[in-house]
Amino acid sequence: MRLHLVELVLFSTYAELRAEAARSYLGLIWWVLEPAMMMGAFWLVFDVILKTGGPDYVPFLLIGMTLWQWMKSCITHGGYAIWGSLPMVRQVRLPPLVFPLIAMLSDTVKFACIFVLLVAILWALGYPPNAAYWALPIVFAAIFLAAAGAGFVISALVPLVPDLRFVIEQVLMVVMFLSGVIFPLDKVPEHLRWVMALNPVAVVMDDARGILLHGQLPNWTGLSKVALISVVLCVVGLLFVQRLAPRFPKLAS
Amino acid sequence: MNDVVIELDRVGVAFSSQRSIGGSRYWALEDVSLRLRRGERLGVIGRNGAGKSTLLRVLAGILVPDRGAIRRGGVSCQLMSLALGFVPHLSGRDNAILSGLLLGLRRRDIVSRLPAIRDFSELGDFFEQPIATYSAGMNLRLAFSVAIQVEPDVLLIDEVLSVGDAEFQEKSGAALRARMGEGHTVVLVSHDEKQIADRCDRVLWIEHGRSVLEGPRDEVFEAYHRDLHHPPEAA
Repeated sequence: MRLHLVELVLFSTYAELRAEAARSYLGLIWWVLEPAMMMGAFWLVFDVILKTGGPDYVPFLLIGMTLWQWMKSCITHGGYAIWGSLPMVRQVRLPPLVFPLIAMLSDTVKFACIFVLLVAILWALGYPPNAAYWALPIVFAAIFLAAAGAGFVISALVPLVPDLRFVIEQVLMVVMFLSGVIFPLDKVPEHLRWVMALNPVAVVMDDARGILLHGQLPNWTGLSKVALISVVLCVVGLLFVQRLAPRFPKLAS
Repeated sequence: MNDVVIELDRVGVAFSSQRSIGGSRYWALEDVSLRLRRGERLGVIGRNGAGKSTLLRVLAGILVPDRGAIRRGGVSCQLMSLALGFVPHLSGRDNAILSGLLLGLRRRDIVSRLPAIRDFSELGDFFEQPIATYSAGMNLRLAFSVAIQVEPDVLLIDEVLSVGDAEFQEKSGAALRARMGEGHTVVLVSHDEKQIADRCDRVLWIEHGRSVLEGPRDEVFEAYHRDLHHPPEAA
């Protein structure tokens, strides 16, 4: 039974990636091209026009956007997955959790491809791989846990209240601006810094940049706090999904 | 042959009529009881909207009853769904695997049955092509060929019986009859009396979400017809 679900999730992930590649003209190229275009837009606005970027702005932005895109797509795609699969939920008995997991896994595969490219670009910009890279998987695990936790909670609620989608997009945009994804947070007034330290996204952004640009190991205390919050979020999300599962097959999409 | 695999005791299922705060509920299934024994072929009859499909989804374990009790003795139940999870841009082969996994098969079981699926669907080389290129008939042939591979302890069928052109209808009908004749436990929902009469030994008649009568086929049909011609005053 369990193994069967693992097979289902893995094959569905493969199917989703494959279908997505086949849906457009350029296929897989969009996985890279789309984030690249977005980074270009932010670079134009914040570096060229507003001149808020510092000397390291391009690598700063590249890392921030790559990680944020991964988080955001896990949260939204995972979050909308049960709602989007309601026609199937009505026809077959499956643990609803498989749907967000499939979405998050395929986004993670895409992230892996983009990340390889990112490392190459950083190298070309003068930031070669360094000894601190071993800590990257740990930071990534924390990022995935945080995104999965938020995604699970949302995935349980959106089928019941689809209106939430409109709120979520806006909230995520605010989170992006408040997490140092696009511009550094050193302009935040001193007395507000402690709030920023509690923002898990800001913490993992800092840690990832520290490793990739300066060969600096993460602040383990901060990272453990993030991981702890994320695990709690995951558990809450799992409980929500489990609790609301009997209602999903009765809902119209 | 008298062991009960699923038993419903005065089961009811309620749906919300609309999605808004304080929306009212209606009972798609009000009070249905039935006993399904191993190897039995049970037909469910009733007019449109009587709750037949809802009942099938309760038996499949998709819907959890809001009242009453359901007892099942460790058996797998599967609703025979056509084209479940089909993705247009994937090949017939990939879709067959995906659909089979969704229907509860292990991957190695589906892979070993792929040649049979390919043969039965008569798709030939199209089996490796994206199903977006298929005609509606080809799609149905693939869908049926996959669905017929699933072998749960209890097979639940909701009016899917014949698909495709006349020739394939004959073939799929025969395959399904063969499946039902193998001693499997089957629940068949249809408003086509002839199909039920041909394939089932026991019949459950439900009306307005309530079970009216369950028993041997001929007995229930007789009562059902009497009712059709002389409906009770307050229905």
